[in-house]
Amino acid sequence: MKNNLDRLIQEKIQRELGAQTRRHFIQKCATGMGGLALGSLFLGCDAFKGKQEKKQLGFSERDLNPLAPLAPPFGPKVKNVIFLHMAGAPSQLEMFDYKPELQKLHDQDCPQSLLEGKKFAFIRGTPKLLGPQAKFEKVGESGNWVSDNLPHFKSVVDEVAFLKAVHTDQFNHGPAQLFMHTGSPRLGRPSLGSWITYGLGSENQNLPGFVVLTSGGKVPSAGKSVWGSGFLPSVYQGVQCRSQGDPVLYIEDPQGMSRTLKKRTIEAINAINKEEYAKYGDPEILARINQYEMAYRMQIAVPDVMNINDEPDYIKELYGVEPGKESFANNCLLARKLVEDGVRFVQLYDWGWDAHGTAEETSVDIGLRSKCRDIDRPMTALLLDLKQRGLLEETLVVWGGEFGRTPMQENREGKTMGFKGRDHHGDAFTMWMAGGGIRKGASHGQTDAIGFSGIDGRVSVHDVNATILHLLGFDHEQFTFQFQGRPFRLTDVEGEVIREVLA
Amino acid sequence: MLIGITGIVLVAIGTILWVTLPSSEKVDFSTQIKPILNNKCISCHGGVKKNAGFSLLFEEEAFAATESGTPAILPGDASGSEFIRRLREKDPELRMPYQKPPLSDEEIELLTRWIDQGAEWGEHWAYSLPQKIDVPKTSQEAGLGSNTASTFIKNDIDPFILARMEEHQLVPSKPAETNTLARRVALDLTGLPPDQELFSAFTGGTLSYGGLVDSLLSRSSYGEKWASWWLDLARYADTKGYERDAGRSMWAYRDWVIRALNRDMPYDEFTIAQLAGDLLPDPSIDQLIATAFHRNTMNNDEGGTEDEEFRTASVIDRVNTTFEVWQSTTMGCVQCHSHPYDPFRHDEYYRLMAFFNNTRDEDTYNEDPNLYFFGDVEKAKIEKIKKWVTAYGDSTLLKQYSDFLRFKEPVYQAHLSEDFVNGELADTKWLALWDNGSCKLKNIDTQGATSMYLYYRSGIDGTTMTIKKGNAQGPILARFGIDKTQGNIIRRIPFKKVDEKVTLHIEANNNAIPRETSTSAITWFAFLPDLPGKGKPGYQEILSLFLEVMNVQVPTLPIMVENPDYMKRSTQVFERGNWLLKADTVQAKTPEVLNEWEAQWNKDRMGLAQWMVSKKNPLTARTLVNRVWHQLFGRGLVATLEDMGTQSDPPSHPALLDWLALRFMNDHGWSIKALIKDIVLSGTYRQSSESSPGLFQKDPGNQWYARAPRMRLSAEQIRDQALAISGLLSTKMYGPGVMPPQPEGVWQTVYSNEQWVESKGADKNRRAVYTYLKRTSPYPSFLTFDAGSREVCTVRRTVTNTPLQALVTLNDPVYLEAAYHFARTMQGKDVSQAISDGYKKALYSEITPGKLEALRQLFETSLLEFQNSDEAVTAFLPFEERPDATLAALTVVANAIMNLDEFLNKV
Repeated sequence: MKNNLDRLIQEKIQRELGAQTRRHFIQKCATGMGGLALGSLFLGCDAFKGKQEKKQLGFSERDLNPLAPLAPPFGPKVKNVIFLHMAGAPSQLEMFDYKPELQKLHDQDCPQSLLEGKKFAFIRGTPKLLGPQAKFEKVGESGNWVSDNLPHFKSVVDEVAFLKAVHTDQFNHGPAQLFMHTGSPRLGRPSLGSWITYGLGSENQNLPGFVVLTSGGKVPSAGKSVWGSGFLPSVYQGVQCRSQGDPVLYIEDPQGMSRTLKKRTIEAINAINKEEYAKYGDPEILARINQYEMAYRMQIAVPDVMNINDEPDYIKELYGVEPGKESFANNCLLARKLVEDGVRFVQLYDWGWDAHGTAEETSVDIGLRSKCRDIDRPMTALLLDLKQRGLLEETLVVWGGEFGRTPMQENREGKTMGFKGRDHHGDAFTMWMAGGGIRKGASHGQTDAIGFSGIDGRVSVHDVNATILHLLGFDHEQFTFQFQGRPFRLTDVEGEVIREVLA
Repeated sequence: MLIGITGIVLVAIGTILWVTLPSSEKVDFSTQIKPILNNKCISCHGGVKKNAGFSLLFEEEAFAATESGTPAILPGDASGSEFIRRLREKDPELRMPYQKPPLSDEEIELLTRWIDQGAEWGEHWAYSLPQKIDVPKTSQEAGLGSNTASTFIKNDIDPFILARMEEHQLVPSKPAETNTLARRVALDLTGLPPDQELFSAFTGGTLSYGGLVDSLLSRSSYGEKWASWWLDLARYADTKGYERDAGRSMWAYRDWVIRALNRDMPYDEFTIAQLAGDLLPDPSIDQLIATAFHRNTMNNDEGGTEDEEFRTASVIDRVNTTFEVWQSTTMGCVQCHSHPYDPFRHDEYYRLMAFFNNTRDEDTYNEDPNLYFFGDVEKAKIEKIKKWVTAYGDSTLLKQYSDFLRFKEPVYQAHLSEDFVNGELADTKWLALWDNGSCKLKNIDTQGATSMYLYYRSGIDGTTMTIKKGNAQGPILARFGIDKTQGNIIRRIPFKKVDEKVTLHIEANNNAIPRETSTSAITWFAFLPDLPGKGKPGYQEILSLFLEVMNVQVPTLPIMVENPDYMKRSTQVFERGNWLLKADTVQAKTPEVLNEWEAQWNKDRMGLAQWMVSKKNPLTARTLVNRVWHQLFGRGLVATLEDMGTQSDPPSHPALLDWLALRFMNDHGWSIKALIKDIVLSGTYRQSSESSPGLFQKDPGNQWYARAPRMRLSAEQIRDQALAISGLLSTKMYGPGVMPPQPEGVWQTVYSNEQWVESKGADKNRRAVYTYLKRTSPYPSFLTFDAGSREVCTVRRTVTNTPLQALVTLNDPVYLEAAYHFARTMQGKDVSQAISDGYKKALYSEITPGKLEALRQLFETSLLEFQNSDEAVTAFLPFEERPDATLAALTVVANAIMNLDEFLNKV
């Protein structure tokens, strides 16, 4: 640890030296935007003047900057959230929910009692039970179970609290992902990240408050709606930062246009807009001046934070990053950098967990093992890295999928399948949380002998969201937005904070 | 002087205003009591919860005995009413609202007085019909001779506005300059800046303002502009939504909306066509196209999803959307329980659903029913067939044949098959039997036909398919071979006549194929009564023509088609809104609180549409008027645009809202253009939008309209304007969605090979309304400027102001290319002249010295930079064959002009 700390200090010094020129533009309280002739109107060092003028005019900080930070109504445990979503739904039975009994029943017909009245996406008739396709071990002081698919993760198991009996009522990807992230299986509701940035704003005005990073080659099934802002203003929707092309759309200056020239352009625009404000007195013009300055700073800050090349080698190794590619490892490192820079909500989606057994890469033995390898080291590194920087105490890390998988082997439309796979299953699956306010090493909830249903400590998707909001300082029942004549909330009319995993 | 006048006007119109009444006056339920009940009581004593058996949602509930055995409210006796006693209670366990802050003394006093006065229940304003209202007495009659007022009042809208303005000690702003007004009204009516000819005619005085407005309203660009508004409500998109979000062919509906708006189809007719065009007598192709309004619901192709679940979701969406679009009413909450605040009961939701629950669409992959757009060759064949049926059959048969030729309904979809043995519903879409496989189709009406139509494909030869009556032991109804097909085909198969509804037992046999291999993939089965005129000369030819037409590939559009009687569904209440928990069966009926049903209406979508556009419906006209007003002023007369229920904001100008609604229905015969014209001809609209800190502070939201609104342009307008002033905008109308440039890698949909293929030529620069809209990945720069993804009905877009917007207009190649073309029009002049001319061309006003100086400096800096680097010039102007530093510097200036706040706004 000592060694790590030295390296961190070393790294910090390096960065500060290297960032002299850049810093000059993006300091939180510099003279405007890097010596911009006008200077910031309401941000930066001129804040006092800004406040005076705003007060006179009767508009709020939020009128000018909808992402201005706000204090939560109750004492928060964390400031930021990193949500690692394994899109496609990972198999809890090969990762965290150890079921030796299922091994014994392997290849036997699934009892009819479990099938009656149930609907499955692809299983038809009577499927066979499928024993765990991984070896399990009790690890850490907590003695929680982790499979050999996740060797690195075993070392941080005492940092996390498991939810072993999460359930959802959706069993198709699109609706279930929407349900997990917006509290409704249908489209049109704001996502968790939107609610949170709406409620808290963002600490860093040079970066979007809600960033989305995807890996696995695809965006999640439900599309961009899972990070949409629904009926909240669109400024609170997630901004997808990409690994290839512009990290944020149109962030790069046009070819042939220098930074200086862009600065002069914005100065000219803002000078004219200021004249316009004098004539029309519309605060939206001031807001626009602000946005143009912010855009300019964002053009520096986004590529800067999205660049992982300059990270020290030991950090790159820790995560196992592959610079220049789109990978979960890169995204984990980026998530750390983003929360370090004050981004409120970082959402990761890793696609490719839908282990039906239709091919080798979707089998729960071979395919799933390889997916686990892709995430094992990075997510472990993320927790370690956040911790060594003291960021884990103010960040909540959530891991999970949109549902779990069946203890039965999939028999798609009644056919025997070439590979071992499991169908969608919403009755019981595992999620975990780590970070500020979380009871380390906890394990809440228990499933039956074969992992079909929760028998103790069942928690719903709404409960998970209520808990996330609670840790950020919100009462999920009070945190509402008036729309169509009624107050809407993330957790609809349900949800209870899961006290058992709170410190 | 002015203050005195204000007083006079106030007295003159006091009767029509909502004013606070002195304490001896009668308490008004709707405006004074209902808001308190809604905010403080109803969450525990209303539509969702009825704690202690007490609810304040409906009149009869409020006065009924509670769990205690006696009513909580005793009219005329506040002191004896438990309701008041509990509000005043000191014991926190008993005091209401429970565990919440107590009501204020004023609130309790009001409630007490209301009960003592007899606790008269009232109706929410929006559920009563608009009353005939006289235009308030104004200047002349009231002796108001002020310049401001007389220049302000241009038509009957203005006295309503002026009266409220004066109540708030506000005076109208001066009229806007003619150049500003020309740009404003052109952007509002056509979405584009005015063309130079029109602009000069108006500003030069040869064209009146009314003439300008008429000219703009007559342009086809009017329909293209207002279509975006309606398409938001209609949730129009070019893809199906949900996981796979595959493309669908909906654009014919979008084109119908543009055409209908351009020819100013009266709003009642516009409504009926979209809600029930298929139920009109002998509907035209256009009337069928209009019904695609409700086929814009999403369609789920994700493997493993049950079609019935998503069919139900679509029907629910249709109920909710219909009520949001026409009635400003949120029915969504009534799906699970009675409305929390408004007088709509749980079962009323399902009674409304019953109107929509009987259409043929069933969330199938093909999106049946589809309207087929035949070419002339097929049309001639169809005429021949219809002539034959007319000659030998009756009118019923003719309709059945015409319908089947137009939209291939009714059919039995493959997902109805059950009891599979050695077979499956492949990808939960197609009926696929393996060797020795079977399944059943139950409750089938074969129409007594001696043939069956089968829509299927197969990649395998040598299958025998047998259809038996009832079960495996039943008599054979059909036996036929299935071989390889070229894609999907429709075949006619001889079938044994059956006269009653039957179960079809379907078998497939092919022992030459490996096990678990599908013999074919069937989409649907159909039975059409036999073609009449059997044995007459030419019979065989007509039969063949029919199959030819059936199998031709033409463009299609999903439409609404009503179930025939033998396929009718019954509608049941869903307990707690869960479609799997079905309770009582209900009949179609409109909500009690709204206008009465008239006996001559059919209990179907047509009747519902007629009920909606009846002049006795209190909400339809008010809703439309309010939303058109919002389009022009950026806020509604009722600010909560989506809701006029009891939780909505009270109207800022209730009298004007009703006056406009009545005028729209009665004087204008539901003409949207006439309504728009009324509004833009008003002095209110024609004011300057300039403000001062004083004025701004008095009315930050501009709800009293003492200035014209200054509004950011919509996503569509921003792009169209940039293309228009740079001369790039194509005037091509209609057709499939186009794909203008967007960055690589934006589309990443699962299970889809669909690609964004950049449009070439004129299609690259079409108006924004024609841009292909993929629901899970809308055109990125539109999304940034607050256009939605159209998954559900959008009543209003929230306007935001973000750095990402700046990045679009500064850096998106679309805007740079526009800037470059714009710069080319500025070339070849003295710099100051070039900038002044460019500014004027973009903004329709003269540049000020300060602005000129800022842009001139920018030009000089740019020129210096570009003169020092040829590479930079070449890189910056990839569009230009012979790039030079001056053009590059002018392009930077043009880009700056196109980023000015005044350019991005309607001022």
